[in-house]
Formats: sequence, C-alpha cells, structure tokens
Amino acid sequence: MDANTIIDSLSGQFPDDIYDTDVESGIRILAKVKPENVVEVCRYLKEDLSFDHLGCEFGVDYPDRNEIEVVYLISSYDHPVVLTLKAILPRDNPEIESVVPVYWNANWYERETYELFGVKYINHPDLRQLVLPEEMLGEWPLRKDYKGFPNKTAKNLV
Amino acid sequence: MDEVEQTEAEQTEVEENEAENFGYDDVPGVTLTDSNAISDFLKKTKVQDVLNWGRKNSLWFTVNAMGCCGVELLSTGMAHYDTDRFGIIPRNSPRHADVLIISGYVTKKYLPALKRVWDQMPSPKWVIAFGDCAISGGPFYESYSTHQNVDEIFPVDVFVPGCPPRCEALIQGFVELQKKIEAKKDRGTEY
Amino acid sequence: MLEEKVGPSEMIVHIGPQHPMLPGPFRLNARLRGETVVDSEVEMGWIHKGIEKILENKTYLQGITIVDRICYLAALSNEEAYVGCVEKLAGIEVPERSQYIRVIVEELSRLQSHLLGMGEYASFVGFVSMFMYTIKEREDVLSLLDSITGARITHSFLRFGGVKDDIPPGFRDDVKRVFPNVRKAIDSYEDMYSTDSIYRARTVDVGVLTADVAKDLGVSGPPLRATGVPFDIRKDEPYLVYEDLDFKVCTETAGDVYARIQVRLDEMRESMYIIEQCLDQMPEGPLFAEDTPYGKRSPVMRIPAGEVYHRVEDPRGEMGFYMVSDGSDKPYRVKIRGPVYPTLQTLPPLLKGVKVADIVAIAGSMDTCTSEVDR
Repeated sequence: MDANTIIDSLSGQFPDDIYDTDVESGIRILAKVKPENVVEVCRYLKEDLSFDHLGCEFGVDYPDRNEIEVVYLISSYDHPVVLTLKAILPRDNPEIESVVPVYWNANWYERETYELFGVKYINHPDLRQLVLPEEMLGEWPLRKDYKGFPNKTAKNLV
Repeated sequence: MDEVEQTEAEQTEVEENEAENFGYDDVPGVTLTDSNAISDFLKKTKVQDVLNWGRKNSLWFTVNAMGCCGVELLSTGMAHYDTDRFGIIPRNSPRHADVLIISGYVTKKYLPALKRVWDQMPSPKWVIAFGDCAISGGPFYESYSTHQNVDEIFPVDVFVPGCPPRCEALIQGFVELQKKIEAKKDRGTEY
Repeated sequence: MLEEKVGPSEMIVHIGPQHPMLPGPFRLNARLRGETVVDSEVEMGWIHKGIEKILENKTYLQGITIVDRICYLAALSNEEAYVGCVEKLAGIEVPERSQYIRVIVEELSRLQSHLLGMGEYASFVGFVSMFMYTIKEREDVLSLLDSITGARITHSFLRFGGVKDDIPPGFRDDVKRVFPNVRKAIDSYEDMYSTDSIYRARTVDVGVLTADVAKDLGVSGPPLRATGVPFDIRKDEPYLVYEDLDFKVCTETAGDVYARIQVRLDEMRESMYIIEQCLDQMPEGPLFAEDTPYGKRSPVMRIPAGEVYHRVEDPRGEMGFYMVSDGSDKPYRVKIRGPVYPTLQTLPPLLKGVKVADIVAIAGSMDTCTSEVDR
C-alpha cells in the first residue's frame, strides 16, 4: 500500500475530520484530525488500512499558539508507511477521547501524556500517574512554562 | 476478644519481669551486661583489629542495578573480574549484604525504596557511591525528578567517579573501603 | 488499583522495585489465589530521569551524550536514532565508510546486549553458571567495542554526518581472534539450553504469545519475531547500508519463552556475520563529507525547522525518535519511543493464570531495560 492511496482513502472516508494532509516521502505521511473523532479515524486506520501498530503517542506544547498537540505515530507490521496523526487541543483545558479501545498499548502512553502535559483522556480505563511520584501530579513538567527545571538543589553548581 | 486481652496481660507481665531483672546489678558477685557494652569494650582493645580484618575481607554487596553503572556492577561480580577472590561477593538479598552500592540516579520515587533496602541491611554496613549520578547528579543534575545530594542521606564512605566507571574502578573503590576499615576511619562502624 | 479487587482467599504480592529477578527497578504487583496469578499490574518510573526535558535544554551535540544513557545496553542504537533524526532534518549526507563503521558498532552492541540479556535470563530461572559463561564472552566483545569507541557502555561515538573515529589498526585481527570463540560459545549455549531438561521444563510452552495477540499489544523485536512475524526495521525500512548486506531475519514460531531466547541466539550469529561482511566490503574514504558545515568540530549548529520520525532496530525492537525543531540550536521537543515500553505492558495479560514461579521466567524473557522504559 503506498502513501498516496492511504491519504486519499483516509480523506475520502473522513472529509470533515481530516485536514492538512501531506505526503513527505514514500514512507512518511502526515494528517491532522479533529479531536472529537479520533477514535473513529483510528478504528478505520486499523481495520481497513492495516495500520495495526501504534508506535507512540505523546504531546507537544506550544505556549505561543496556546495549543497542545497530541501526536499519534501509527505504523504497520505489513507495510513501511508511518502516519503522523495530530490532534490540536486548547492549552487551557486539553481533553481528548482515549484510543485504548482501538490500540491497547495506548494505555501507558496516555497515562504518561496525562501526567507530563495534563491532557485529560476521556473514557480511559485507568487514568492516573505512571512515572512520577504521586505528589508531583499537577505540575505538568514537560510543558514549556514548567518552573521546576532546571533543578538547582545540587551542591557545588558552577 | 478474650485472647487479645490475655496476650496484653502477658505482655505487661513480661515487662514487669524485665523491670525486675534490672535489679540484679545490686546483687553482689553478679554482673550482667548487654551486647552493646561488650562491643564498646572490645572497640578499645586489639580484638577490634581482628574483627575489622574479618569484615574488610568479606564485603558482600547488594545487586541493585539502578542505571548504566548497574551493568558494570553486574560485570564486576561475574566471571571476568571475579571479585570473589577478594571476598567481595554479589548478594541478591539486602539481608545478606554489607555494602550498599548506589549505582545510579536516585529519583524522588525510588528514594524511599532505597532507604528501605538500606534499613534492611544488618550492621556494620557501608555505602559506595558508584558513578557520577550518585556523587553529584551526573548528566541528570538538573532533572525535575532526580534527588540530588545523596551523600547527605546515606553515610557514603567511598566515591567512585566515572560515567560509568570501569569495573577496575569499582574494585579500586573496594580496596579503598578496606583500607578505611583497617584504619578505623569508616563511617559504617562507630568507634 | 489491585487492592480494591482482592477477593476472599486472595492476596497481593509486591515484587520489586529492588528484586534480584528484575534487571532494573520496576514493581510487579500480583494478585494471587493460592499459587496462581489472577491479576497483576506493573508500576514503573522508579528511575525516571526526565531525559526528554533535559534534551530540550541541550544543544544538539550535547544531546548525544544524554541519549547514550537512555538504555545502557543499546547506547549506540539510541545514538543512531537521535543522530539519524538530525541528519534527516538538516539533510546531512553520511559517507559510506562512516555508515559501515556505524553498522559495525551497532551490531557489536547488539551482540553484547544479547549476551548479557541471555545470561541474566538464565540466572533468573536458576541457571547461574550460564551467566558466568556469557559474561566472559561479553567481555571479549566489549573489548572490541572499547577499541573502536573508547568506552564500554556509554560511547558518545556517533556524530552528525559521520563517526568520531576510524576503526583502529589491528581491529580485523582482533575480530578474527574473538569471533570464532564467540561462535563456539554460542553453539555450546544452544547445546546447553536444548539438552538441559530442567531449563526446558521451565521455558517450553511457558508464557506463550501468539502472533495476533503480540501485534495487538504493540510488541516488537525478539518477542515478536519469536511468534513468527518477520518484523525487523533493518529489512522493512532500511537505514545505513543494511540494504547492501546479506542477513536474514531470525524467527521462531512457538512464541514461548524458549523461542525468545532462541531468536536472540540466532541473532547473535547474524550480527557477527554482518560485521564480517562490513569489514570485507568497507570502502576507503573520509569519515565526514567534504566541505560539510556539520562536522565533529562544530559544537553549535542550527537545524532547519521541521518534524521527523526516525526509527532503528534496537536489540529489543523498534527504537524511534520523534524530533521537532524550531530552527534554533536546541531541539524543541524530542520524544523517545522505546521498544520495551509496550513489551513491559504485555506482562499483565501474559501472567494471567500462571504460577508464581513462572513470573520470573516470563518477565525475564522480555529482556526489559527499565532505564529505557522510564527514560
């Protein structure tokens, strides 16, 4: 399956939800998705376009644009095309539907994005902290305006 | 409920008996002592030198691989470097170990667990800070999740610098610890 | 949240974070009924050091040192993924000789990682002598790696558009001296594994992962190839000179613990074969392209704005970096996609219904590198 047919099929199926599509190379394609319908898009990708491998899911913080991007890297065990799917959320109240019902391994990725960026996942089976101690929840350390970095507690700092 | 009350009663009885035991000091010809008193006495004599000779030649260490240095820690205990010949043996249980090797970054989440491992080790016990992360934070000195200044929390005897240090450096660290124990300068025993 | 679900005659056993069976600190909470695991959950983050945040505040060249420490057993694969991202964004060409040297060091790294992982695994199931054997061979391989990069574990060897150093004189002789011994040792390991009845009883048909389930759970690397899926980034999305090299993707069909170890054994043979081919085919030439603005002498470099995902085959599976650059001398955002992260997530479904003793056998066979999961 090549990149152009995938993009055409995707934007043909979801004309209202998929926008800003781009074919970077034969194995890298890019699309943006409206956050409301990310689960349906993912289900279509998995069942009809054989994108059965969620490589990664993470957030990127853009304070100037007042946005948080949630990026899904979806690839396949059968073909080498990697799709970068982006959902843009408002920075004040980032909320998006969880894709755990489609991609089982999104569970930890979403928990991590939640504790590092503060993105709330609706219908996530078990949304709580993953890598941080419980008392650090709510600081969202990977946001660009996080105050606790750099940590100045070490002795003998030059 | 009755049983609970009964055991409570027994406990108070035992405490009373113990209280009575203290009275033996007054009996002429009978001297009672406790293990602390014996060890305090021994520390002033040559016997302590013999004890320290034994201790310095059986430095068993905990295997808790916490980072990159943990891999060097494993290699040191294994066939090629073979620290067994110095009496330095890797032990999996902290209950068997004398030396805690902090082999990496101590995070805010891991610190309570590491303290617990330290508390489980029987005295006398020593700490080696292995690698830059345990000494000064290493490459992660500015991270939001690591705990700095580990030497203020644990009584570190030997610092082994490097990122990660080689196995030979760890063996050198053990030799330094042995020298300290022999000279009675270590922080693991109170002199 | 296992505590809420404990039924009558059930108990929760916490394994870890410091436990001899675990290759790094993580905690496995198992809910048991008698000796059978009913449910379990993995707690991680005990050595989370915030590498992604640190990378945002380091220049690109400084970042190479940090990415080394993501996974201490596959430092060179991490570097390759990171350096590859920057090279793709900036459009830097890597001369062919440097590419061959990169393949050599990365395959050596895979070799030593598998040797350690296998030995460690054998010690988890009570076969501690095997650990002694594999560490002995691993030291020989490490000395080869040491002679090229100057370090045993964290190398900081790759540079944008090349490598730090050429291979030293006499390296070919060292390879000719070491590899026959390692081959012989691997044969003897295989012999020991396949004939030891106790080892077989603990591994054959234990922790079976079928291909469909493995795909569904997002597994990659040896645990996936042990189920018969020939998914290997070196073949599917070739980077460096892997296209010109002859090697096969090692697969097994059983999907159990024994198959995972067998895949690693076969991969070690393939790695050595790849290195020997590289040494034969390697052309003479410069390490860096002529008149490139990026060399090892340019500590401050600005990378054009853009986003890129570059993935490589780690000893444990698919290792990928997603990098966002805003045109400055530091990356705007770096996301590290480690292979063990999804693999460790598969433990709760895999452990359902097994006996307590098999927890060790199954969790160990995934060759988890906790440092990379936590980052």
